[in-house]
Amino acid sequence: MKKTITLQINGKQHEIAVEPYETLLQILRNQAHLRGTKRGCDSGGCGCCTVHLDGRAVYSCMIFASSLQGRKVTTIEGLPQGKELDPLQAAFVEAGAVQCGYCTCGIIMTAKELLAGNEPLDETQIRHGIAGNLCRCTGYTKIVDAIKIADASR
Amino acid sequence: MSLTSATEYFTPNGNQELLELLDRYGAGALIVAGGSFVHGLDARGLLLGIEALIDIRNLGLKQLTSDDDGLTIGAMVTFTELVQSEEVRSSAVLGAVRDALEYPPLQIRNVATVGGNIAAACPYFDLPTAFLALDAEVQVQGSGGARNLALHEMLVGLFQNGLEAGEFVTGLFLPRAPVRTASAFIKLESNANDLAIVNVAVRVSLDSAGSCQDARVAIGGGVAETSVRSSAAESVLQGEKVSDDLLQRVGEAVQSDLQPMSDHRASAAYRSAMAKTLTQRALRRALGRL
Repeated sequence: MKKTITLQINGKQHEIAVEPYETLLQILRNQAHLRGTKRGCDSGGCGCCTVHLDGRAVYSCMIFASSLQGRKVTTIEGLPQGKELDPLQAAFVEAGAVQCGYCTCGIIMTAKELLAGNEPLDETQIRHGIAGNLCRCTGYTKIVDAIKIADASR
Repeated sequence: MSLTSATEYFTPNGNQELLELLDRYGAGALIVAGGSFVHGLDARGLLLGIEALIDIRNLGLKQLTSDDDGLTIGAMVTFTELVQSEEVRSSAVLGAVRDALEYPPLQIRNVATVGGNIAAACPYFDLPTAFLALDAEVQVQGSGGARNLALHEMLVGLFQNGLEAGEFVTGLFLPRAPVRTASAFIKLESNANDLAIVNVAVRVSLDSAGSCQDARVAIGGGVAETSVRSSAAESVLQGEKVSDDLLQRVGEAVQSDLQPMSDHRASAAYRSAMAKTLTQRALRRALGRL
């Protein structure tokens, strides 16, 4: 049976009717029409669906939509300030860290949390930090480069 | 996730409300903590006929309480919250917990909970092995009241926990250990994020002469239907000083206690060989913390 929940997505209030088994990923793509968040494995293994829930990176395919009453979600669409890309997004452009692009939004959302800490990150911390995100194109080198650029410029 | 049989999603605001829901839905109820293993259970066909998902986020099971007796971890404490707690970050006794929480990715650490990890009774999980080496007790609530189970009484079988109908996990208790005690955990996985092929946790207490006065050796990851202790390995360690020769005998004792599974992750023979090696490494790591 559908129930209506109210949550904040990228700073805007949304009222969405959800089935008990529906996930955050499903409502983002199908009801909020935010398609930057990708559906990959749908079982918490690939990281394409990573978004922030109350400021923390999560696999949106594993979060029941019904658990979101009153909570705050940020997706890749919520990162730019107006027409200005987020510095992390700009770093991905600068480093050429995108090939097919399917994993990119998820990796940026994961890296966003890594860069929220106070300390600069070394390469091991970056690689360990994005271990929950798979990229089948790049071999990760340019992704790691991009995160280093963003880390150095903050 | 599929679970399309579920027609209700409840978020009870108190224990009484939860107990009533468990009573009303019986085997059709599924308690959801972090939710990160719901897919894992569903994919194994273990969630057929689930009618009601019951989210326990509003029961206040988020506390970490430390006193002279030990550390109590609320069922809804996430891996991130646990690894960031001062005690887990600094205590040699809890080294195994710290080690085990290194493996899951950020997105899992942020949602997976201690209670869910235990209640799932998954033989491949890491924390149950670590907690087994730390003499953990599981705190349980039912309509008849509260009770504590030793962790091995909770890990009954393959995806089978020791809860009675209508009961739920409220937390986990880790008792204090003697002075000069340290623990460590090591996991073998085929790639990042995978379930364990083998995992091992050890806890050792040394006396003033540097001999082992108390030891725990726990092994998981498909070596049995649950994570298990190796009493043979613990006996070998008892009263002895750790040497290369002793580690050899401890490793062999671990192997004598196990009858590992063969599956798509690893053969029984490989699991057995790795259980020996990882036990030896984990012991060295634990001793290095003393």
